[in-house]
Amino acid sequence: MNTNNISANTISPETLKTEYVLPESCVFSKNKNGFLAAKINGKDYGRVILTRSLPLTCPNDYICISDVEKNEVGIIEHTATFSSEQQALINDELAQRYYCPVITKIESIKEKMGHFYFDVLIGECKKSFAVRDISKSIRQHGDAIDLIDIDGNRFRILDFEAIPSKSRRKLEPYLY
Amino acid sequence: MGKKKEKNPGPPKPEKGKFPKPLLDALENAGLSTRNLIFCCTGDMDNEACYCGAWLCFDEKGFYMAFGEEEIVKSKRKHRKNEPKFNISEIRSIPIEEIDSLETERYVSTGRLIMKNDGEQISLVRFSIGRIAQFENLVRAFNSYKEKGEAEIPASAEPEEKKCKKCGKPCPPNKDFCHKCNKKSSTAIRLFKFFGGYIPQIAVIISIMLAGAAVSVFIPQISTRALFDDVLANPDGLPAAELLKALGWLVLSIFGVRLLNTLLTVIQQYITGGIMPKVVYDIKVKIFNAMQRLSVNFYSSKQTGSLMERVIRDANNIYWFFIDGVPAVIIDTATIIGVVAIMFAMNWKLSLIIVLAMPILMVTLVLGDKVFRRLHHRSWLYGARVSAMVSDNINGQRVIKAFSKENDEYKRFEKLSGEHMKAELKLALSEATVFPILEIVVMGLSTLVLGVGGVMVAKGEMTTGTLLSYIVYLEMLKGPFDFLAWISNWWARCADSAQRVFEIVDAKADITEKENAVSFENLRGDIEINELEFEYEPARPIIKKLSLNVKAGDMLGIVGKTGAGKTTIANLIARLYDAKEGCVKIDGIDVRDLKLTELRRNIGLVSQDIYLFIGSIADNIRYAKPDATMGEVIAAAKAASAHDFIMKLPDAYETRVGAGGQKLSGGERQRISIARTIIQNPKILILDEATAAMDTETERNIQNSLTKLKEGRTTIAIAHRLSTLRDSDYLAVIEDGKIIEYGTYAELIKQKGEFYKQYKIQSEALKTIGIGVPVEEKEDENEHK
Repeated sequence: MNTNNISANTISPETLKTEYVLPESCVFSKNKNGFLAAKINGKDYGRVILTRSLPLTCPNDYICISDVEKNEVGIIEHTATFSSEQQALINDELAQRYYCPVITKIESIKEKMGHFYFDVLIGECKKSFAVRDISKSIRQHGDAIDLIDIDGNRFRILDFEAIPSKSRRKLEPYLY
Repeated sequence: MGKKKEKNPGPPKPEKGKFPKPLLDALENAGLSTRNLIFCCTGDMDNEACYCGAWLCFDEKGFYMAFGEEEIVKSKRKHRKNEPKFNISEIRSIPIEEIDSLETERYVSTGRLIMKNDGEQISLVRFSIGRIAQFENLVRAFNSYKEKGEAEIPASAEPEEKKCKKCGKPCPPNKDFCHKCNKKSSTAIRLFKFFGGYIPQIAVIISIMLAGAAVSVFIPQISTRALFDDVLANPDGLPAAELLKALGWLVLSIFGVRLLNTLLTVIQQYITGGIMPKVVYDIKVKIFNAMQRLSVNFYSSKQTGSLMERVIRDANNIYWFFIDGVPAVIIDTATIIGVVAIMFAMNWKLSLIIVLAMPILMVTLVLGDKVFRRLHHRSWLYGARVSAMVSDNINGQRVIKAFSKENDEYKRFEKLSGEHMKAELKLALSEATVFPILEIVVMGLSTLVLGVGGVMVAKGEMTTGTLLSYIVYLEMLKGPFDFLAWISNWWARCADSAQRVFEIVDAKADITEKENAVSFENLRGDIEINELEFEYEPARPIIKKLSLNVKAGDMLGIVGKTGAGKTTIANLIARLYDAKEGCVKIDGIDVRDLKLTELRRNIGLVSQDIYLFIGSIADNIRYAKPDATMGEVIAAAKAASAHDFIMKLPDAYETRVGAGGQKLSGGERQRISIARTIIQNPKILILDEATAAMDTETERNIQNSLTKLKEGRTTIAIAHRLSTLRDSDYLAVIEDGKIIEYGTYAELIKQKGEFYKQYKIQSEALKTIGIGVPVEEKEDENEHK
């Protein structure tokens, strides 16, 4: 018997079990001001806040539900287990909370004295921002890239391979 | 004439929390009365998170939101700043009585402004997360106006996003112009400023270099042309003996000229060698000094590896460029100019071929510079990451071994190091591509010259000696051109390093001393905290309107759960951070008005994180007072109950501690740090979980040391274990950045609130392991107190 087996056997399965909110015990709806509300296990929580546990790798799994006082009410294991109507409500709320301007084109990156000045297109809108300490301000996760400017604003490239090749060439030297 | 020119006022300066005049005019034109606005705030999105100009403000009647566009109109007149222009497309008004209060919600990269009306939340507008501080100020101003009829306008209120005054693009904090528009910030100019104190020596060096270059250019004239045309060809038909004599003089002249050239090089290197280490010393000291000046906040946002690279590798890159590169550039440029001039004088037709090849070389150099700069930067990033990982791995060795993760760590390192290798490889391959291109160009030129020159000699348009010396000159060009091609790469490395160095040198410290900072005469040690508010990130408050008073010589105990804000209070008293709102006063003076060195000298901080510097135990104890006598060091160690264990070490007070030194237990290290604080003799003592990581017996020993230390000082003790706070004159229970209970130990027990709850849990725990007395007995005891 190896050490891993010993430690696995000594931890009771109950200790590592998480109780999830199930679709049959939870109903989401929108309140009259457009905020997400929920009734879970028969209790009406009013407005609720959804937070992703793994926002980068599994954005639709392990979603935390909290009330407006930020007390956790429960966790959804997979949003896919909910009906399409309910999923639409969940996704809408998550999209608002995790909204990040999406860069479609990089027009220029100019560097001066440790600051990098980006001119980009966000959809049709031109946007300029400055980035300091570029190694820490560019975060790559899978195909997506997040850029964080000097004010803490975040911009996202959804798929690095999908943006124009000229834009790719401009950013490529700073990726690692 | 005689009429004094009026000074150009430039764009109007916004008042705190007010809009600039052009915007106010645009709002007026759009139908909004702006005469009585109380507070204004600029946003950048509408309620659907679409980018647009958004301006929010309120007056006594309503809350207004205007949406539209802002553009920077370039001024036609030179030296005149560009004016912003505002196009307002929509204005929304909400009567003030319909809004109970405002609040912000923080999301990942945006925020939301919400109004409350009869308990209902209504979304008003979204904004980029970088603006949340401004929106928080708006919320604060509006809510206070609703509550008290008077808007509390925070001192930190910034009405506008910081934009470059010239181009309107984002601007670094505390700067009026972006780096692109700030020509003074040119890397080369700034680097050369480091040489400002050595102008006479530099003038001598340059003169010697130019003389050396002139001598080198002259050499082929005697070593090749004169040798072939004037001696070997024997144009005057001299007898053999005379010819040998002439040859001997020529060889001696060649030797003399070469010797002179070598001597000039030696003198130049001697003077350069004398200046350069001083310049590099200046750079290193400047970086290190800048790093010391920066606040704790700066260090928490940087990797140790990256900072170490800046001090060591970057300064050395600059050093090597200037000691080897710059002199060579001067010599080579002078050589190229001299050689090309002589070549034109010798044969202008042949020289035209070289002139035509110049653009190819120049284009290659410029492109090379761009590519190499990026590749060097990338290689540097990986290098810094590898250094950080090594440092992380060394510091975490105990954890790695405890979890048996050596192999995983090795794989992680192998992967990262492999990426670094790839970056270096890419750089090397690029170099291997660019340089052969230059080689081919030069080689082709020399072959062409040989061919065309050969024809000219055959036609009698040129002598053999002139052609041979011409080819020698052409060969002489190859070295400087090769070097100048390579220098672009070298300069790229140096400029990349310089940029990182200047990033630290230019970084502005968060905590600065006021110009007319106040000195202490005789510090009593009264501490007064008024309505203190603090947050590490906007809209994530850590301390919320906290007020406290500690009389000189008293001891205040602070208890609370992890993350309640206890350590932040200690950091704010020691002014490691500045409060957002409210203030900390010592002897009635705001800590921000006090001289920093005096403030810190009078505050002793013993924390759970103990850091011993590389050096002897004695050096560590006398860290705060380097001139302390050995007697004082021993007395401090005795007072800290450290003397006995120190004397058991083979080298006693001379035992080396810190990285690579003697291993000491947590309790021993803590006692040394207490001795260090005792020798500092501060008037205010902050004990931040000083004994949290100790076993009961060590804790008891340290408690004894601390009891001695507290005498005659104002003490603030932060602890989880309530037993350590028994001697406190009063106690504050902190929860979520606020004081929830305050009183003496006995009063808080009697109150049966949060403190009592914690007290009971801890007493029960001690009882279970056979330490302490039953809770009921203690309660009785405390009541009798």
